[in-house]
Amino acid sequence: MDLLKKAWQKDTHSFQQVSENEIYRMIHKRSSSIVKWILIISILEFVFWNVISVMYLGDSYIRKKYGNEIFEYIREINTIYNIINYTVVAVFIYLFYRNYKRISATKSTKQLMSDILKTRKTVIYYVWFNIVFFVVGTLVILYVQLNYDSKFASLMQRIHNDTGYMVLCKSLGIVFAFMLLIVIAIWLFYKLIYGILLGKLSKNYKELQKIDL
Amino acid sequence: MSENLEQSFVKQLKENQNIIHKICRLYTNGEDAHNDLFQEITIQLWKAFPKFRGESKFSTWAYRVALNTAITLYRKSTRSVATISYEGQKHFLSQEDYNFEEEEQIKLMYQAVHQLNDIEKALVFLYLEDKDYTEISETLGISEVNARVKMNRIKGKLKKILNP
Repeated sequence: MDLLKKAWQKDTHSFQQVSENEIYRMIHKRSSSIVKWILIISILEFVFWNVISVMYLGDSYIRKKYGNEIFEYIREINTIYNIINYTVVAVFIYLFYRNYKRISATKSTKQLMSDILKTRKTVIYYVWFNIVFFVVGTLVILYVQLNYDSKFASLMQRIHNDTGYMVLCKSLGIVFAFMLLIVIAIWLFYKLIYGILLGKLSKNYKELQKIDL
Repeated sequence: MSENLEQSFVKQLKENQNIIHKICRLYTNGEDAHNDLFQEITIQLWKAFPKFRGESKFSTWAYRVALNTAITLYRKSTRSVATISYEGQKHFLSQEDYNFEEEEQIKLMYQAVHQLNDIEKALVFLYLEDKDYTEISETLGISEVNARVKMNRIKGKLKKILNP
């Protein structure tokens, strides 16, 4: 090993040397680092989920989907919804930006890795928040529909008469199955992105952690 | 001012480029990948250069950024395709330094190190560069004692690979 060390240190002429001009050219090229990809994907996610929630909560969409009858109710819920949504988005963007700014190649390897993972986690939490928000929202609207929409009144009547009980169970079952399917799809999608983007990093991070155990 | 910064960076990088070449050779196979990683490390070094205040040597600082890039930040760009084993890689050696035995040894060494994982490679690299365990532990972010223990284990592993 010591012999090798000496040989290694002498081994300085064995590489094709890069000229100053080439270095100049290199520093003006764009990086293709993983951090850049994380930033792009994270911004896309923020945009995507925001577009979804704006579409889902827009006035005209609500009127079309639910009709005039319960429009006022839904709009009230909607206002609360929007306030929560925008507050949370602002907080998440701030947290994301703070974590992102912390990433620096001059830190120790372990610190760098943990900073990158933290930044990604912020986005993941944001996505989970959206899923929970989506599920809760759907349930609240369902509740409003069942209680205030005349289209559902006959169904409610039948439930009170005990004959519609099965119908209610069935429709609730379909709603839950549908939501579960969406959550699973999103979860799988994230597993995939995570695997491609951070597989190597997580493996190396675990390796470093193992050394310090 | 920024022109000066650029000049001083390019000059120092040119003088210290062998550090980066060695890391590239450890972490890649083939010339294309080598050059691609070299470029990414250069970009990362340049991006971090304004923070470099000359408290430490340029090379010490470069070790950290270069290893971080190789282990963590670097993603193979799509243009690197075929992997050529490095035996087929061009090897430039100035005539007066040519020493067949040492050359062979280094070649075997690289072969052995290629079988280690990314973190182990980093430890071996810093060890071969004659860094002390304080610096190794600070660069990787692990404790000094554990760096020593791990290094001993890697040495054993390398010995097994080299003399089966």
